[in-house]
Amino acid sequence: MNVSKDLMAASATPLILAILKENDSYGYAIIKRVKEMSENQLIWTEGMLYPVLHRLEEHLLIESYLRKSELGRQRKYYRIKESGLAELELQRKQWKIVHNALARTWNEESNS
Amino acid sequence: MFDLETQIHLWSDHLRAHGKLSDADIDELENHLRDEIEDLIATGLTPDEAFLISVKRLGNVDAISHEFAKVNTENLWRHLLVETVDSQAKQQNRRDITLVVIFALLAGTLFKIPELFGFGLLDQDGEIKIFFIKNFSFFILPFIAAFFLIKRKSELKTWATILGIFILAAVIINVYPSFDHHNTEFLTNVHLPLFLWLVVGATYIGREWQGSQGRMNFIRFTGEAFIYGVLVMAGVMVLFLFTMVIFKAIQIDVGKFLTEYFLIYGGCAAAMITVYLVEAKKSVVENFAPILAKIFSPLFLIIMVAFLIVMIITGKSPFMERDFLIGFDFMLALVLGLVLYVISARDIRQPANLFDYLNLALIMAALVIDGVALSAILFRLSAFGITPNKLAALGENLALLGNLAGLAWLYIGYFNKKFDFTKIIKWQTDYLYVYFIWTAIVAFIFPIIFKFN
Repeated sequence: MNVSKDLMAASATPLILAILKENDSYGYAIIKRVKEMSENQLIWTEGMLYPVLHRLEEHLLIESYLRKSELGRQRKYYRIKESGLAELELQRKQWKIVHNALARTWNEESNS
Repeated sequence: MFDLETQIHLWSDHLRAHGKLSDADIDELENHLRDEIEDLIATGLTPDEAFLISVKRLGNVDAISHEFAKVNTENLWRHLLVETVDSQAKQQNRRDITLVVIFALLAGTLFKIPELFGFGLLDQDGEIKIFFIKNFSFFILPFIAAFFLIKRKSELKTWATILGIFILAAVIINVYPSFDHHNTEFLTNVHLPLFLWLVVGATYIGREWQGSQGRMNFIRFTGEAFIYGVLVMAGVMVLFLFTMVIFKAIQIDVGKFLTEYFLIYGGCAAAMITVYLVEAKKSVVENFAPILAKIFSPLFLIIMVAFLIVMIITGKSPFMERDFLIGFDFMLALVLGLVLYVISARDIRQPANLFDYLNLALIMAALVIDGVALSAILFRLSAFGITPNKLAALGENLALLGNLAGLAWLYIGYFNKKFDFTKIIKWQTDYLYVYFIWTAIVAFIFPIIFKFN
């Protein structure tokens, strides 16, 4: 099933921050991880991911650094910062409110 | 044969050509592409299949640039003067700007030094003295050379050589006697700056001055410096006129001060700033000279073909005065410039395109027109005898003609797939020697041959 574009965009920030909280990562790996976590339901494109990463970096939620991969290629890794962790926590609470509200209405639907 | 590396490079060049992505962005995307390709190859696809699929997945370049542009629109505009991010580059940049300021002041002051000994810039008639015109390049070019020598961290030996050339040239030029009419002196005035500019070129290129890559960069640099120089000078002139007018409003005439200080220091500063800007912006903003060349080369071709047709139909041969010969020299130089700057922006891996054929057509038209003109002048020369001006104009013509003929010949060979494009570039960059030698001959040897008349 296709997730709507708006929802994709809204969920991108918390997903990226959550993945970076697990450990530092780079673009390609993040897309793979999202695909894996969503059981192939969320397929991100690069044109969408990198701008978000750069915006987060600009807002000082994450930072980037260069590291050599096993193959000797320079890769740009991203690391979550303190303010990023705080932002993630904030987003988590917000999503939880939405999630709870939705869950309740859907429960009432199925109960009635 | 499918060459994965070449294909990946072409792809990232394509991204780069779009101009909306920074180098770091492109590196990141290229890495992404490579990751994807590796994964696909690991699942059993061949490299070309993996490449095709990965490129497709990455989405088309337009879409990517568009998405990226949303994030850094403002970056796109303030690229050139943006504060550099890492501290080392910042330091470097500050040092360069300091150099520019100091050199501009030094160059301006150098202009003023003769005045301290009662030798002002202007003579009684308010015209600039010939000494200053003759020595104009020595006031500013050594500082530009020094700027690059410092930037390229050149060895002491290079410093000594360059300085030696400048001093030697200055001594020779000023030891030569000066007579009225100033025929050979005029030629020296025109050719000396060109000669010294090529010397500056050696400092610009630095260590690899024998390779065609470095020389091509110098050719690019020259084109950009010309365009930026004109713009910066236009700014200086606007400021000049503005100052004149507002002070006039309160009945104070600042004309004398402005011409004696503002224009001299402003001119020197403009030259240094131009050099600094072109050097700083080279990878940030697309080069402008190739764009101009591409706009005007079709138009020039139309005019020249029209001229040829009219000349043939009316049966009129070009009227051979010296001025007209210089006019044809300019035509050749312009055509060379157009061709050269189209070449300079060309990706040597790409196959022949429309502009290559246009270049060849342009060269051909120029060769035919100049051939007609030359046959006329040679006839006149033998009838009326040789003057330094005619000989210089003729020499220029032959040098440019040789250059263009060589280019035409190589282009034809290239279209017939006899060799690849690098040979054309090598020819063009090697030909700089010819100009170097010719300008040196006119500047230094002509005065002796023609006894400074």
